[in-house]
Formats: sequence, structure tokens, C-alpha cells
Amino acid sequence: MYEILTGPLLWIAFAVFFVGLTARVVLYFKGLDWRLDRVAYKPHMAAGLKGGVRSVYRWILPFGTHSWRAKPIFTIMFFAFHVGLVIVPLFLEGHAVMIKSGLGIDWPSMPQILADVLAIAAFLGGVGIAIRRIVLPEVRILTDFKDVMLLVLTLTLLFSGIMASYHTANYSFWINLHILCGVIVLLTAPFTKLAHIALFFCTRIQLGMDFGIKRGGMKTNFDW
Amino acid sequence: MFTKILFATSGSPCCDAAARVAFDLAARYNAKLFVFHVLGTPSRGFSQVVVDLRTGEKVELDGDYILWVKDELKGTYDRQLKSGVDCEIDAAVGVPHREVLRKARQEDVDLIVMGASTTGCESDAQEYERHFAGSTLQRVAKASKAPVLVVNRPVASFWGGFTNIVFGADFSKGSEHAFKFALRTAKELDANLHLFHAIDIGSSHGFISQKELDDRMIEARDRMRRKYLIQTGDFKKVTADIWEGIPYIEIVKYAREKQADLIIMAHHSKDVSDESAVFGHTLEQVLLRATCPVASVNRPDKIQLA
Amino acid sequence: MPEGKLCNKKPVSTREELDALLGDSNGRQYYAEMENLDVDAEKLWATIQKTMKSRTKTWLEICAHCGLCADSCFLYSVNGRDPKQVPSYKIQSTLGEIVKQKGKVSNEFMRMCMDTAWSKCTCCNRCGSFCPYGIDMGVMFSYLRGLLHSQGFVPWELKIGSGMHRLFRAQMDVTVEEFVDTCEWMVDEALEEWPCLEIPIDKEDADIVYMINAREAKHYPEDIVEAAILFHIAGENWTMPSSGWEMTSLSMFAGDWEACKMQVETVYEAMERLRPKRMVATECGHAYRATVIEGPYWAGRPDGKPPVECIHYVEWVAEALETGKLKIDPAKRIKEPVTVQDSCNYVRNAGLRECTRIIMKHMAEDFREMAPNKEHNYCCGGGGGFNGIGRYRKQRNDALKMKREQILATGAKFVIAPCHNCWDAIRDLEEEYEIGIRWSFLKPLLVKMVEVPEHLLPKE
Repeated sequence: MYEILTGPLLWIAFAVFFVGLTARVVLYFKGLDWRLDRVAYKPHMAAGLKGGVRSVYRWILPFGTHSWRAKPIFTIMFFAFHVGLVIVPLFLEGHAVMIKSGLGIDWPSMPQILADVLAIAAFLGGVGIAIRRIVLPEVRILTDFKDVMLLVLTLTLLFSGIMASYHTANYSFWINLHILCGVIVLLTAPFTKLAHIALFFCTRIQLGMDFGIKRGGMKTNFDW
Repeated sequence: MFTKILFATSGSPCCDAAARVAFDLAARYNAKLFVFHVLGTPSRGFSQVVVDLRTGEKVELDGDYILWVKDELKGTYDRQLKSGVDCEIDAAVGVPHREVLRKARQEDVDLIVMGASTTGCESDAQEYERHFAGSTLQRVAKASKAPVLVVNRPVASFWGGFTNIVFGADFSKGSEHAFKFALRTAKELDANLHLFHAIDIGSSHGFISQKELDDRMIEARDRMRRKYLIQTGDFKKVTADIWEGIPYIEIVKYAREKQADLIIMAHHSKDVSDESAVFGHTLEQVLLRATCPVASVNRPDKIQLA
Repeated sequence: MPEGKLCNKKPVSTREELDALLGDSNGRQYYAEMENLDVDAEKLWATIQKTMKSRTKTWLEICAHCGLCADSCFLYSVNGRDPKQVPSYKIQSTLGEIVKQKGKVSNEFMRMCMDTAWSKCTCCNRCGSFCPYGIDMGVMFSYLRGLLHSQGFVPWELKIGSGMHRLFRAQMDVTVEEFVDTCEWMVDEALEEWPCLEIPIDKEDADIVYMINAREAKHYPEDIVEAAILFHIAGENWTMPSSGWEMTSLSMFAGDWEACKMQVETVYEAMERLRPKRMVATECGHAYRATVIEGPYWAGRPDGKPPVECIHYVEWVAEALETGKLKIDPAKRIKEPVTVQDSCNYVRNAGLRECTRIIMKHMAEDFREMAPNKEHNYCCGGGGGFNGIGRYRKQRNDALKMKREQILATGAKFVIAPCHNCWDAIRDLEEEYEIGIRWSFLKPLLVKMVEVPEHLLPKE
């Protein structure tokens, strides 16, 4: 099982992930239409990019926007969840070892204790987000099956990873579950809402450009 | 002397006194009378809803409604209409003062007759009032080229023609035009013209010495002579008086003493939108209290000496 | 009955059609006919495929359903936090569903979409600035309105308004002659107080061309003369076009993009004809949005800019006060607490937040900010056509509650609203809730407050 998951399947999964998301980004920008979007992207590229960069920057900063500040608890959960999901897989010692053995690259890694803290924070953040989804009527009404599945998937991924890192009795179960979830994430990312891994930057840049070019960006910077 | 008269009415009983004067004047001078009603203030942004000025209700505007309002007006003035006056009834939608002024300009009328604002008419227009502070009357009087004859109290409408005209002088520019109108009216009707000015001591907080009062009296006499009396020429039925006190009270008292059937004054308040000025103004107070019609003149255009 | 006599897929093209619509009290027949109006699913789907490209498609698809937009929407707040008022829900359950069904939706569904698009969203775009992905649901609702309009599902008043633009190139039936005559009349009335006052019509190569909202010409021309007086005092070399002076666009509210193009092209034609250095727009929010922000795209101008530089009235006033062209008499500054309504259309959606603050610095001694303010201010409650649609009167009145609370919280009893729609909404708000406030545009205040140079005064 482990061999299958970390063998060709993993490589296929990575290929799908990177090729798929790249394709989505390219298609997204190619599909922007100055007439339909009513934004003159090309003639005002500089103002647009400035607006786009500001827009991304403010939003990836915790409490960087009015929206984040308006919902501090959600913001904390959100950033714990996302920081954990992005940083830990990239710089986990266990992952670095795999990269070293697979690709022969010396991959930087972070101390295990930090990884643990981040992963647990991410898990708790995710649980908080899940509870919020159930408890708040304004979020519940929006929630569909896919949203639930997505949360189940990522939370399982996190939880199994944490369990595996402690080398408990059921190590092989947890590690296989962890890798399975990871593979599913990689395989489905380009085709589901997980595409926001890349598309977040696209839509943020687009609206940033919209405000930067058309909606006043050449007069004042929008205070996100 | 008047060939076209515009009677702007809210159609409610509080304009009855004004109606009586308007129809009488039209009959007397064989003038064409336009009975005009602004039936609603456009409301709700660009919608077709207007606020009916009579009922204060929001109504949906369409051709039928305008026809219905015209019919109503015909009913209201049924008796007067039978008197044979050349009369045209019209209704329009808009902000009342603006539409009255528009109609006056279109028809090039010599006189506008209106009811005053205190006996309930304006409460009909409350909707309008609240977003355009200052009364319709005030705004019409300020901008109208033709004199505006205001009939407030019913008692003011029972008159037998103009025999005693009081002109309330305040030496302003508008007052000059008003004087010309007063003089012309008096000459044409062979009426007595009483020039009057009140030295305002009501609004000075301190104590006025007799010396100062005397000085002001002399100055006022001088101005009265230079500005107005000099223009009377060979017209002899003119008297002039200067009293002291609170101007509007003095004018009303004076008019009563002279048994005036018409008071003519300038409307020269610059600031019509200041709510506090609505009834603080001398003219407004005179309108409220006078027992005869009051003509407000602000512009020279329609009062050239014949 | 596939197409009604009044309610159909065809926009107004003749005076007779317009009169027939106007003659229909409250749109009773119009809405009755709408219940039987066929949905052309094929055409609807074709339009969507042609016009819904990556931006909107991605927006619909990527929404994380996080609900952060909920509290950004004043309609959600004033309606007791009804989950059905969450912006994401509103757009997903309408446009999202139409897309999902590939246009195969029922008449009843389309009417629900109409009610949602015009009574549950004012296109204020506030939610767009609260969404982490930057999903602007106001933009999507505007798009949805376009789809609904193309199928004939549009509120009665907006079909009329849009028809007005098609027939008269103005939201009201004001002809060139009537407009020019009104300007002459206004000057005539003001001349005694303001000798040498002019409203120059069709003057070429002036520094400023001034453009307005048709309601000013039709119902309160005082506004035009006040503008004239202020340009006069400031010593501006200005003009107004005899045609193409109307900046508003009810067709924008209606989603009638063809009429939008017709209207704005008339305005641009006037700019090109008169070649002014700049255009100054009257105190109206959606007029500015239509002519300056969106208009260039309707007209197909690749640089997204109108033919000449266009500024809003608040920009001109701020500039005139800062450069000393206009000076406020210090004794006449507003002493009482006063607050300002930031219009969504030129503050959030055009970046003019600082202008009114500069103006208040000059005019007011006790200026109170609303909270939230500037680009995060709430809609007045009457934007996007909401003010004028009889069918949604109740919903609109509920919508005013947010502004009521905001104004009350400032403690000010005087609200300056340099936007026709906001001004209307705040007037209605006072009528509906009687909180004892007054409101005004800037012009009437400025006319009373600015210092007038000696040589412009009438000679006594």
C-alpha cells in the first residue's frame, strides 16, 4: 500500500496538481476580457498590477483587511488552518527526507516542535471552521455536500499526519491514510474548490486590478 | 391693467378667499384667468409616484389622474366659472413653486394670486415642505416677475375694489419696484396712495435715545421724499407717514387706520431657504395679519408705468 | 401568452410604447403579463456562454461558502440576519442556478430572480471588498440584471426609465429646447442678485463642461443656477452642452446595456464636440459611475476613459476650496454637528473618499464621521434603482434602517448628501422614521457660505 501510494501514483498526483493548476491559472487570465469585465487591463497594466499586488498583500496578512478585522476569531482560525496547511507540508522534516531520497535535493526543514504546533493549530483551526459552518445560520445556508467533504478530507489529512508523526501503534494505518488523503488533494485540486490554492491569487489580483485601474485606484488606493 | 392673471391654488377651502379675489379681479379687468394647480411633488426618485398635495397621499400618476384633478378643480370653482370669466384650468406635476413660476413665465402673466400659507394650505404641502424648506409662496414671491397678490384671511377678500392702497416702504431696491407698481395701480384706479415706513425699534436690544430716533426719523423722511414722493408728479392723492415700532405691527395698524384694501410691499428677503426666516420676515407677518390682500413685488419686469 | 403587450423582451422604441407603459397604473397589467412571459432558455444560455467568461465563472465556482460576506451586506443586517439575505446565497440561488440549469428555468424562477436582483441587492459592491477571494457580488447582480432584462423580467419603472433614455437620451422627457430654455429662465431669475451671471451653452474649448442629472433640469432647476453661481464666483470658464448633458443612466439600473451605450455615447459626443479641458459632473453618484467609470466600456473605448478628464462635483469643490477659487466665509461655517453620506458609486467605486473630507474641513466646525465610512460606508438604502421601484417599496423602507442607525450614532442632525440617490433615500428616511434630521446637497450650502468678490455683487 505504502509503496503504491508513494510510488508512481504520487508522481502522477504531483503532475496533475502542478499541470492542472498551472492550466487553470493560464486559462483564467486568458479568459479575462476587458469588455466583459469592463476593466482596461492592458493600457493601465502598471496601475493594475499595483492594485493587484496591494490586494493580495493585504489579504494574506492576518488582520490586514477590514474584513479580517471584523471577524477576529474566524481570522485566527482561518490563518492557523491555512498557515499549517501550506507551511507544514512544505518544510516538514519527514517530507524533506522523502524529497532527499526521491529527488536527491537537500530540502530545508523546520524543527519538529514547530511543525507539531503548526499542524495542531491548523487542525484546531479547521475544526473551528467546521463547527462555525454548522453553527452559524448564515454559513450553514451556504454549505453543501462538497464543502463538507472538503473539510473532512483536509481534516483527515491533518489528523492522520499528526497521528503518524507520533509513531503510534497504528503508524502504518495513519501514514497510509495520510498519504492517501494527500494524493486525493493533489489529484482533485485542479478540479474542485481546492483550485483556490492558485485561483485565490488570480481572483484577488483581478479585483485588485479592477479597483486599481477603474474603480479609483489611480486616485486613491483602496483601503482593503 | 391686468390682462392675464394666474391663480395658483391648492384646490382646498383655504384658497377660497384667494379664489374670490382672483375671479373678481379677472372679471373687473376683463383679464384671462389661469387656474393652476400643482398636483404633486415628484417623489421616489424616478418613479411615477407623486405625492398628492391635497391629501398628502402617494398616488400613481397617469393621464387619468391629471384629468380627474382638473375635473375636481372645475367642480371646486363651478360657481365662479359660470360667471363668464375667460378661464383656463390646468394642472401640472412638479415642485410647486417651480411649476407656478414656469406657468407664469409661459403665459407671461401680469399678476399671480395665491392663498397664504397659514390656514392649512401649507400643511397639505408638508411633504414638500420638509425637503424644500421655505414656503411655496415665499419662493414664488422671490422669483416672480409679476406681482404676487396674496389673500390670506377670508376677511381680506371682501373688498369693493381698491380705494386705499398702503405702500410699505423699506428703501430697498425691491421696494422701488414695489413703489412703481403701487403708484401705477393708484393712478389707474384713482385710489389714495399711502406711503408708509416704520422705523424698526423692535429688533434693537438697547435703549434708543430720543435724539437717535429723531435723527432716524429725519433721515427716513428725507429718503421717503427722494426715493418715492419725487416720482408722484402731478398725482395728488398721496400721503406719507413714518411711524416707529415693530414694522409688521405698525404696517398692519396703519393699514387698518387708513382702511386699506391693498397693501403693497417688496419681497426682498434674500434667504428663502432659512427655515427661521419663514415667518420672521416682515412681509410674512403682514400676510398673516392683514385684513386686506397683500401684493408682493420683487422685480421690475411687469410693472412699467403704463 | 408568450409575450405581453407591455411586458415583453423588446425594449421601448416608440413614444406610443412608452405612453402605454406609463398609462398602466402601478404596472398592474405589466406585472400580470409577466406571469405568463415565456423564458427563451436557448437564448438565455447562449447569452451566458457568450458573456460569462473566466471572471464571473470563477467567482461562481470558487466561492468557499465562508459567509464572510453576510455581515458586509446591510440588507442582511436590516432584515434580521436572514440567511437568505447572505450575498453569496442570493447570487448562488439565482445566477448560480440559471448557470447550473443551463438556462432552462421557469417563469416563476425568473420572477424570483428579478425580485432578488432588484430588491435584495443595490449593487453597492460592499460585499466585494469583504470577500477574501474578491468575489464582487454587486458586479454579478448587475450581470444578472442584464440577463433578466434581456428576457423581459425587469421592474416596470426601470423599463420606463430605460425607455426614456432610448427615446430622449435622458431619464426624463426633457428636449434640447426645453433644456436651453430652462437655463435661460434660471439666469433670468438670478440676474438681479448676480449681475453678469451666465449659463454658457455649447461654448467650445471651455475649461469645464458641466453635466447634470435630468431631474435638475426637469424639477429643480435651482440646482443648475446654483452651480452656475459657484462657477461664476470661482471665475471658471465653463459651459453646458445643449444636448448630451444628461449623465444618469436608469438603463444601468435596468441592465439595459444597449441603452447604456446609446446614452453615454450622446454624452461623449458632446464632449468631443465642445472639446472642454475637463468635465465636471453634478452631485450624483450613479451618474458619475455611468458616465465616467462604466461608460467608457459600454462605448467600447479601449483605454477605459471618457474622451476628456471627468471629475465629480466633490472633486471640483475640494479643488476650488484648496486653491482658494472658492473661499468659505469663516463666520458662516456650519456650527452644528454635521455628517456626510459617502456615495457608493463615487467613493467605494471611484476612489473619491478624501474630497468630501477636504470640503468638510473648510465648511464645518463639527464634522462627524459615520461608522463605517469612506469606501466601507453602507449604501444609503436606495441605490441601484431601489428608490424608484414601487413593487419593492416596503423592502426599500426596511433598507433605510441601516442609514438611520448610522446617522443617529453620529449625533448629527444635519446630513450632507452629495448624491441624488442618497439625498432621496435620506429624505424618505426622515419621512418614514422621523428622526428629526435635515439634509442637503453641497451647492445650496456653498452658495450661502462662500465669500463673494466685491465686483460680482449687484450695485445698489
